Amino acid sequence: MTVFIILALVAIITALGMLISRNAVYSALFLVLNFATVAVFYLLLGAPFIAITQVTVYAGAIMVLFLFVIMLLGTDELEDTDNLTWQRPLAIGLAVVLVVEGIYLMLSQNTLGFITTPSEDLGSPQAIGDMLFSKYLLPFEATSILLLVAMVGAIVLTVKNKKGEQS
Amino acid sequence: MDSALIWEMVIKSLVLILALLTGFAYLTYYERRGLARIQSRVGPNRAGPAGLLQPIADAVKLIFKEEFTPGQAYKVIFILAPIITVIPAILITATVPWGGTVTIGGREVMLGIADINIGVLYIMSVASIAVYGVVLAGWASNNKYAMMGGLRSTAQMISYELALGLSFVGVILLANSMRMTEIVEAQRGLWFAFLQPVGAVVFFFATLAELNRGPFDMPEAEQELSAGYNVEYSGMKFALFFMAEYTKMVSISAIIATLFWGGYRGPFIDTMPGLGPLYMFIKIFFILFMMIWVRASWPRIRYDRLMDLGWKILLPLSLSLVFINATGILLNQMWLIPLLSIGAGFLAIQAINLSLRRKENAR
Amino acid sequence: MFDTTMIMAILPEILMLILGLLVLVFDLIWKKRDGRDLGWLTAGGLLFILIVTAAIARPAESTLVFGGMIRYDMMSYVFKLLFIFGSMMTSFFMMDIEQLGKRGEAYILLLVATIGMSLMASSADLIMLYLAIETTSIPMYVLAGFMRDDEKSTEAGFKYLLFGAMSSTIMLYGFSLIFGFTGTTALTAITDFTLPLAVGIIFLMMVGIAFKISLAPLHFWAPDVYEGAPTPITGYLSTASKAAGFAVLLRLFLGLFPETSPYAPTWTMIMAVLATITMTLGNAVALSQTNIKRMLAYSSIAHAGYALVGVVSLSELGVGSVTFYLIAYVMTNLAAFGVIAAFSRVAGSDEISDYAGMSRRNPTLALVALVAFLSLTGMPPFGGFVAKVFVFAAAVKADMIWLAVIGVLNSIIGVYYYLTVLKVIYLHRMEGENEEAHPIPITRPYAIALTVLSFAILAIGIVFGPWFNIASSVAEGLF
Repeated sequence: MTVFIILALVAIITALGMLISRNAVYSALFLVLNFATVAVFYLLLGAPFIAITQVTVYAGAIMVLFLFVIMLLGTDELEDTDNLTWQRPLAIGLAVVLVVEGIYLMLSQNTLGFITTPSEDLGSPQAIGDMLFSKYLLPFEATSILLLVAMVGAIVLTVKNKKGEQS
Repeated sequence: MDSALIWEMVIKSLVLILALLTGFAYLTYYERRGLARIQSRVGPNRAGPAGLLQPIADAVKLIFKEEFTPGQAYKVIFILAPIITVIPAILITATVPWGGTVTIGGREVMLGIADINIGVLYIMSVASIAVYGVVLAGWASNNKYAMMGGLRSTAQMISYELALGLSFVGVILLANSMRMTEIVEAQRGLWFAFLQPVGAVVFFFATLAELNRGPFDMPEAEQELSAGYNVEYSGMKFALFFMAEYTKMVSISAIIATLFWGGYRGPFIDTMPGLGPLYMFIKIFFILFMMIWVRASWPRIRYDRLMDLGWKILLPLSLSLVFINATGILLNQMWLIPLLSIGAGFLAIQAINLSLRRKENAR
Repeated sequence: MFDTTMIMAILPEILMLILGLLVLVFDLIWKKRDGRDLGWLTAGGLLFILIVTAAIARPAESTLVFGGMIRYDMMSYVFKLLFIFGSMMTSFFMMDIEQLGKRGEAYILLLVATIGMSLMASSADLIMLYLAIETTSIPMYVLAGFMRDDEKSTEAGFKYLLFGAMSSTIMLYGFSLIFGFTGTTALTAITDFTLPLAVGIIFLMMVGIAFKISLAPLHFWAPDVYEGAPTPITGYLSTASKAAGFAVLLRLFLGLFPETSPYAPTWTMIMAVLATITMTLGNAVALSQTNIKRMLAYSSIAHAGYALVGVVSLSELGVGSVTFYLIAYVMTNLAAFGVIAAFSRVAGSDEISDYAGMSRRNPTLALVALVAFLSLTGMPPFGGFVAKVFVFAAAVKADMIWLAVIGVLNSIIGVYYYLTVLKVIYLHRMEGENEEAHPIPITRPYAIALTVLSFAILAIGIVFGPWFNIASSVAEGLF
């Protein structure tokens, strides 16, 4: 429980840090820390496979690309443009409403019994492999098509026209 | 978890870290002597007998050097970056088994820190976050050469991580497990380097690129980037980068030994499990020599060719090796695997050859 | 583990994927090809897939396949055929567009979007649904922004991406809440509406679907994207993509609220109000448009409202009428955008005023425009008329006479702006020019596609019996 509270605080602080930081690189690094904390949550919940995947995919691959792009564009320092005049108070208000709502729900329901607990071996590599290639075979294949076409799309939109082609 | 177990873990970790750090220090000596021998020189031979105290002298010098932080640098990250670089280099060895189970003072001790069921994935994951140190060092220095070096290394590591990961898959398929001890035990009959020779070679190349070592040491190309990501660093911080690089060499050699060269297995290991670390040491010694040899023999390759090799040759090759492994296992015809994979390897070499020729003609 | 049902259930997807890979490979290795070759390959392949699917992949009964991921029933069958047809017509239209028709990537993106739509229409699981929606959306984002040198197209692609990503994120929140509360990912996992968050979850899910079908509060993207995207893509976006959204909506709503459900009246009322707002807003804003693509964008928003009227009735007739409406709408709108594409390819403009004298510049094209626009208006004997009749009949039968009345009133507003276009085409003259001196040549792909579509519109309008039987069989499969 203590571990959980400490981690939860770290997670919240890093998330806030990501939002507040005016430097895009610091924001990205806060997000990496946040992902790492979430990975530890998964470890605490007994799902090491998911934890490791979280680190590899988010911290190790996606955020590195983010940093890469931020650095290449050279837009690390954000100027203090405040063109969100009325949205910010509104967003804060809505966030407060959400928090109050969540607390009210937890207190009034007293038990979160309607949340079903998943089975024990949910996070083990064998279980995930089994699920992925039996029940979720079709989504798995759809993902492969999706990734292929996303790659084709990205290349179409970015690669410069070769000399041979017109315009 | 009882306290004895915690003490066991702490002691094992300390021993491992100390061993790695000593290994790093003497690896620099080993490399310098090795390179010198290949180039018909003598190498460091003044400090101590045969220059054996040279690493200590180096360390003393680096510690007492002035620490210099550029005025325009992002201070926090500038200081953190070397530390971030060192940590994964040490962490990555956590799942490598150094031997079987031995009995010390009536207590069964597993030689190795964590034997988890996702050991291989753990290595993959730590390897993937190792990029941060380098890229942040480059950025925090606020120097365009350093930044280019950092970005180059990111691109290079990301590109070669794919081939690296797919080579892991091949090993996982052959061993039918992601637990490192089981991978070692699966090589009881035949080391995977013989069952899947091309896989071992691809893995070796990919790790060289991950380590930013020659011939893939583009991030540190002196001619183009003065020194790459660490150009603004001096003193102990620079030493930390150096340390990370060489520690990583040792760690990765240990991983290569475990995945492809039978790990801690060797003659009489079943009767004397204490021999495990010794066998590991011998194997790491040879693999490190391979790395030094490669550095001494091959010139640095051009950046576009580096990317071509990673994406157009190694990635398809390692993917096809996964297929070959799967086919062999599915048909239960293990002899197919080395045969087909060597065929695939020849095709890859032919492809490299063709692409090199085409570029020559174009010039 | 595999049986023929499973293969049949995804036969069109498999074939389209093979076709897409063929195009990809040919694009790479076939250096000496003529500009249109890849287009003909795509169109021909889609025709083949259409025939094969129609012939052998007809389901006998409704079954869940692939571990409950997709449902194999008449609905998925009919909608898949519709998407394949729409995609084929679009590939005809694409062939002669500069920068679009000669590039193999465009056809691959189109094919994959069609695969995504097919999966959308058949998915019975949230994970499958989400992936299907993304498989549809991502190629469409790229296609909308395909003309990189054109600012409007880039803007369209980017706007579509931002709106689409945002709405699918919101929808994903809904999905994650469903999984959190029920522990399953089935499409109709919520059965207990006393759950504190059930209402919120349905709203979150509705956001994603409403975006797809450009329903009233989430329609803002449509005019800009429709205007900027290459015209054939706009046609595809406004027809097949929208039909796919409706397929999901039908499945979701009928699954959540069977006729007996005590919660059905509340939700049908909400939907009825949304339909009213969508229709009225679309028609009212369309009145003041001067760009024909923007006008058709607002008109397509209005049409989403009409189709929603059929969904609201939550009955067998309602579902049948929506399906019929979508079939007619897809044919009609594709024809309309085909005419626009053919015209702007030569004239280089999408302003309504530039259509002056088109009836003299190319009488045949003007005739197709007449058919398409009258069908959009809802005039007999064209498909649009019958479709509207069925939809409003369903509303009346479900005791929602007021909704039908609003629908009819809206159609009358529609008549005005559709006929304005026809007036410009037929009655206005080009200022000080001899129209015969500026003919609008029609290339072969356009000729084929527009002929097919015109006859289809007429066929749906005159011989509507068999078409309605197909639509009703869809409804029967769902109830």
